[in-house]
Amino acid sequence: MYQYDAIDKDVLADRAAEFREQVDRRLKGEITEDQFKQLRLMNGLYLQLHAYMLRIAIPYGSLNSTQMRKLAEIGRTYDKGYGHFTTRTNLQFHWIKLKDAPEILDHLASVDMHAIQTSGNCIRNVTADPYAGATADELDDPRVWSEAIRQWSSLHPEFSFLPRKFKIAITASAKDRTAAKAHDIGLMIRRARDGQLGFEVIVGGGMGRTPFIGPTVREFLPANRLFSYLEAILRVYNRHGRRDNIYKARIKILVSALGREEFARQVEEEWAKIGPAGDLPDTEIARIRGAFAPKAFDVLVNRSEKYEAALATDPAFARFARNNLKPHKRAGYTIVEVSLKGIGDTPGDATSEQMEVVADLAERYGQDDIRVTHEQNLVLPHVRLDDAHTVYLALAKAGLGTPNINLITDIIACPGLDYCALANARAIPIAQDIAKRFADQDRAELIGELKIKISGCINACGHHHVGHVGILGVDKKGEEFYQLTLGGSGAEDASIGKILGPALPADKVTDAIDTLVEVYLRERHDGERFLDTFRRTGDAPFKEAVYADAH
Amino acid sequence: MRALTGNRLTDGEAVFWKAGAWVERFADAELFAAEDAAETAEGHAKAQQTIVVDPYLIDLVESEGLWAPVSYRERLRALGPTNHPMHGKQAEGGAAIEALRHAHGAARSTGRVNLIKRK
Repeated sequence: MYQYDAIDKDVLADRAAEFREQVDRRLKGEITEDQFKQLRLMNGLYLQLHAYMLRIAIPYGSLNSTQMRKLAEIGRTYDKGYGHFTTRTNLQFHWIKLKDAPEILDHLASVDMHAIQTSGNCIRNVTADPYAGATADELDDPRVWSEAIRQWSSLHPEFSFLPRKFKIAITASAKDRTAAKAHDIGLMIRRARDGQLGFEVIVGGGMGRTPFIGPTVREFLPANRLFSYLEAILRVYNRHGRRDNIYKARIKILVSALGREEFARQVEEEWAKIGPAGDLPDTEIARIRGAFAPKAFDVLVNRSEKYEAALATDPAFARFARNNLKPHKRAGYTIVEVSLKGIGDTPGDATSEQMEVVADLAERYGQDDIRVTHEQNLVLPHVRLDDAHTVYLALAKAGLGTPNINLITDIIACPGLDYCALANARAIPIAQDIAKRFADQDRAELIGELKIKISGCINACGHHHVGHVGILGVDKKGEEFYQLTLGGSGAEDASIGKILGPALPADKVTDAIDTLVEVYLRERHDGERFLDTFRRTGDAPFKEAVYADAH
Repeated sequence: MRALTGNRLTDGEAVFWKAGAWVERFADAELFAAEDAAETAEGHAKAQQTIVVDPYLIDLVESEGLWAPVSYRERLRALGPTNHPMHGKQAEGGAAIEALRHAHGAARSTGRVNLIKRK
């Protein structure tokens, strides 16, 4: 993991001190709310329905046990004993008091954390593959590039006031676990025929009011030219992005308006002007790479007798292993996904006690490494197969053993109208209700991979556009209604879901999901996921069944 | 009937106007039958910049013999999040909380719509 140096630490200490002064001036009436709002948002502090919300950056979703324990402590001291992991792999506290915020920033700074650039029209937290450094199918460690981008983009004066917010994702695996094609920039690490490392550069994806799967603007960008090329993209965006209209200000609108070819041409032109002077020296990349050097893995055989014995004697563990353990690149190790989707719980929420359990397990069994996924779960990326059962038992005891990764109950949901000032409808109770309906694990496994994603408004923090089944809360004259979209995907086979029909009242949503599942089970061919069946059949059988039931 | 609400500056708590001061419980809020009185109070509230953030008027309907905000959003502010029944104002329970929970309404508060337009 990257270690902050003295300069980084000074910057965070200064920032916390500066915010303390700004809060003090606001409380004394020396600055107005309109003036203060910009300042608090630059430190991730929003005012929501019941309290302030503090959004804390977890750079590329990576943290250690000390940082996780600090988040637990903040949750216990300043919130109501829990936190909410988001689709941006950040953590939000929903019950923060303004007067406590400077002290919380001090706490965060003490463990090299902060809330800078978690709001505002700047480059936000980079999303990286949560299996980075652990999965066998990656071409390079995306954290190296994510960290370099973090350093480059943090407090970057030219890119602090973009037309709108800007999100970058990086993946190095064929399997995309970052929703790269739905980001402002998606970087997919590629290797050329001659072995050279580089990126496929996708620009102009996004969700929200106008969803797009981003087009590829450059098939292969040599890795050592990344920063000049990013600078060129952002300059074109800064110059032409629609500052006049907030709904058209994201880069996706610019790319769509100019067309992929013209946008790419302008970027290339700008890139030529910047030249290699805009790139990071190889020595700097090498320095950062050093922070992500492979851990000291033990040399093990691929078969663990202890693990096999546990599988044979503990059916609950066997189920957990089937769904939550993923192959590791090193023999004798496994990647453990920790579901924050307990049946009936709030998706993405973890109590302070649960955070501490995960921190303890990471420290003792997981090389002190914890990841947050954009699907609102946690990952212990390096666990020995010998320890997997022990880890599972500890997770299960803490209510974290739900064996449902990628299943129908592994639902993304934004905080929705229960907390968020922007929401039109609640998202959490819909997720809870669906999860309860499909609580039978045998049935959930029979259904297989099915990604439900719920947003409480068109801003799409719940990624509904790229859900196999997306659910969007809408406000119909003050009543909560829900629009279903089918056939979306945020993975390597990315697509935007198609609206199925008129929005449904809240009490009809779970029944409609049940109907969709029944149609899928009836129609599916061998080996087809829900998404595959939908893509083959189209929406007709699904639409017919849902609206026959609803009316 | 209308009430005046906002979020308290120091902690973000949803608060309601009562005779020149702010109270946390919706049940204690001052109710305005007269448009003039409501708007006068709103004017005073907007001057209290170090106490409350973005005050606005909300419309009310009758529920179980008590008054409740018309809009669902405002009822949630007066209650707390539905996924944690013991968080927020709803935790104290009682008839006033139940009346809010059972209220029905189907319109946004005009005051908030004006606030959004102003921004």
